[in-house]
Amino acid sequence: MFETIFGPFALPFVQRGLTEVLFLSVGAGLLGTWIVLRGLAFYSHAVGMAAFPGLVLADGLGFAAPIGAFFTAVFFAGGLERLSRGKKSGHDSLTALVLVGMVALGVILASDVFFSGSNIDTLLFGSLLVIGRWDVVFAAATSAAALVATLVFGRVWLATGFDPESARSLGVRHGLPDIVLLLLISLSITSALSAAGAILVTTLFVVPAATTRLFVRRMLPWQLSSIALVAAEGVLGLWLSVQTNAPPGAAIAMLAGAIFILALLTRRSSLAGPPEPPSIQGDQNRKILAPFPKNY
Amino acid sequence: MVFEPWTQGIMQRALAEVALLGLVGGALGCWIVFYELSYSAESLAHALFPGLVIASLTGLPLLLGAGIGVTVAAVAVAILGRAPEIGRDTSVAVVISALFGFGVVLALSPASPPGLQGLLFGDVLGVSNLDLLLAAVLAVVVLVSLRLLHRQLLAVGFDRTTARSIGADPRLADIALLVLIGLATVVAVQGLGNLLVVAVLVGPAATARLLVRRMAPMMVLASLLAVLAGVAGLYLSYYAGTAGGASVAGCMVVLYLISLSVNALLRWKRKADGATAPGALGFAPGPSGGGRDV
Amino acid sequence: MKTAKENSYLAEVSGLSAGYGAHPVLRDIGFRVEPGSRIGVLGPNGGGKTTLFRVLLGELAPLEGSVTVRTRCGVVPQTERSRLDYPVSALDVALMGTLGRVSWWRRPGRDERRRALGALDEVGLRDLADRQFGELSGGQRQRVLVARALVQDARLLLLDEPFSGLDGPSSERLGSLLGRLSSEGRGLMISTHDIEQVRGWDMVLCLNQRQVAFGKPSETLTRPVIEATYGPQVVVIEGDGTREASAILPPQHHDRGR
Repeated sequence: MFETIFGPFALPFVQRGLTEVLFLSVGAGLLGTWIVLRGLAFYSHAVGMAAFPGLVLADGLGFAAPIGAFFTAVFFAGGLERLSRGKKSGHDSLTALVLVGMVALGVILASDVFFSGSNIDTLLFGSLLVIGRWDVVFAAATSAAALVATLVFGRVWLATGFDPESARSLGVRHGLPDIVLLLLISLSITSALSAAGAILVTTLFVVPAATTRLFVRRMLPWQLSSIALVAAEGVLGLWLSVQTNAPPGAAIAMLAGAIFILALLTRRSSLAGPPEPPSIQGDQNRKILAPFPKNY
Repeated sequence: MVFEPWTQGIMQRALAEVALLGLVGGALGCWIVFYELSYSAESLAHALFPGLVIASLTGLPLLLGAGIGVTVAAVAVAILGRAPEIGRDTSVAVVISALFGFGVVLALSPASPPGLQGLLFGDVLGVSNLDLLLAAVLAVVVLVSLRLLHRQLLAVGFDRTTARSIGADPRLADIALLVLIGLATVVAVQGLGNLLVVAVLVGPAATARLLVRRMAPMMVLASLLAVLAGVAGLYLSYYAGTAGGASVAGCMVVLYLISLSVNALLRWKRKADGATAPGALGFAPGPSGGGRDV
Repeated sequence: MKTAKENSYLAEVSGLSAGYGAHPVLRDIGFRVEPGSRIGVLGPNGGGKTTLFRVLLGELAPLEGSVTVRTRCGVVPQTERSRLDYPVSALDVALMGTLGRVSWWRRPGRDERRRALGALDEVGLRDLADRQFGELSGGQRQRVLVARALVQDARLLLLDEPFSGLDGPSSERLGSLLGRLSSEGRGLMISTHDIEQVRGWDMVLCLNQRQVAFGKPSETLTRPVIEATYGPQVVVIEGDGTREASAILPPQHHDRGR
């Protein structure tokens, strides 16, 4: 029985996966809190999906996956931001369509250009077998960057999210901090793609942070507990993936989601906010662009 | 050359499937775009996935799976009301990922038969006559429902807060749209797959919106554009050998992007020429009238 | 009160037009904010009050005209739902005022904390410093946001309907706080719907997509002006024969609370 539980951890590729996940947990935990706080869940999801054709290209042409992924992700993020400046409504249609276009492009590239159709599952949902040494290094580097950026920009990110309209008057005179945040999220998500795949990569970032937020009410404890939960769910998810032979991205998503729902059902409602009736929250995806001063 | 593809049974059935999903997607899509539900539609499609997988694995009809999926999703979203700290969008994203992940675990585990890939990417060239029959029935249900609900949906979408005073019911509209999106997803998923379904649900409608201002003509135009784009996709698939579902979805997206660019170009040119009023190709205002809180 | 000298004003606006896109939402706005004055900003929702504030803050560039703001400008906005869920204490919010003064890479030190606590003290909320922002009452939240502006050392404060939703005692507390702040020489622009309240202040600015009037309340708040500002929303209550009191029908708040 000991063998069945701990057996998988003896395998070298599993160990590499574990190291990767543990390195990722710092970045994913930290950035996860910012994603949840600033309402960037959809943006993160979009970055992951937009990376898909890049991954296919990289896979087909033989260059490093993260480069291809990051390239398309930044292209998407930049394009989205540029396009959204012009129009207010129709923004979510455009985003949804560009995303699905990217997926369709990836599918066509994979099945008809590179004939790598069998790799689609790996690219979409992750695989432990493709995690190489450089992936682990990349994960460590992005997590370090996330840590440094939080120390430097954290206060600005917090204040801007709290009150975007007053950001300028508080002294946040340009969009640099938010650009850094969006870029960092793209980078971190890219580093997690090999393990979790393009579609479900955001779960590693968003779900643990959302779960811990149900119990914690201040920033620093929230950040620390998120990192811990990402690590725990990542490790457990990998184990589950090996045991069930399901792709790691799917296993982690399922696990994290189940824990979130459990947490939601079991916490006491006394921790909920003030008794004001909840209003319909606007589309928070648009809020990523609110901090940018209009005449920037 | 133009008629060659349609001599084969496979392509004929694919054409029928594309026609059905185009009609349904285009018409319903106008409401999805009007209510700004693109993200929700995508989420709902993903949330249905495990239901579809389970139905497929156990031999139950896909429709039943979709029905279970919609119910589970609705229950989940209701429970999520208990988490005000993390925002509704985030909560929805969490539950969708969990459900979708579960579906993928089921679909891709070695114990499952291969070809569940078809649920993800569609299998437009593999639809059977039975599939078509089911899709046709669902399409009729959706289109008839839209006809009956037209005025309710219009009133609620235009101004939710005053809708009650004129006899419309926002909750009915919400639930109706939820169910209809579920049905449309079942129709479209056979051809496009779960990951690409959003293309037909949003693309043609968003394109039509750039060209036409009133809802009824928009729905007709959207359906037309959807079917045309779908046919183009099938041609592409036939002659270039590209994957069927992805080609159809791709054509719908490209059509939208082209229309958007032309629209933007015309508006820019009009601004440069100093004109003030938008012409027929003017950009249709959103449901909130593009109003800002001043 | 100090006598206002020609060149000591806090902000000046002249010939201002502003809006979003092609059409201006505000036209022909011109006024001056003197130190120590409380200016009530009256006008219907959609009449341009928020737009004006955004221009003064530098968030929105004017389409025409000039805007001169000579001092740090602090804003006290309405509290949206999302702000209530933010994992911040009252002190954290007050500390946000130090953002412009301390470089990003430095943590707020003892000095900043002392300033923030001092500001909370000024608004009477020192002992609630560690309370979650979302747990405070409406009036307390407004005062925390005022504290934030004080930490910024803003000499000009813009308050967006700070009295809406407040009960009598909270209203009074806020009112006397604002009185104290203006007597320190700060300029306050306060948007409100309470005409009687404005009568007690120094100046009034009436906006309805254009500037209807600007001046002392006693001279400016006449029936024609009020009607030009609010149109059909005005209700006149017959007084005791010597004076009419006007009230404004409850403003539609359906576009708030988003």
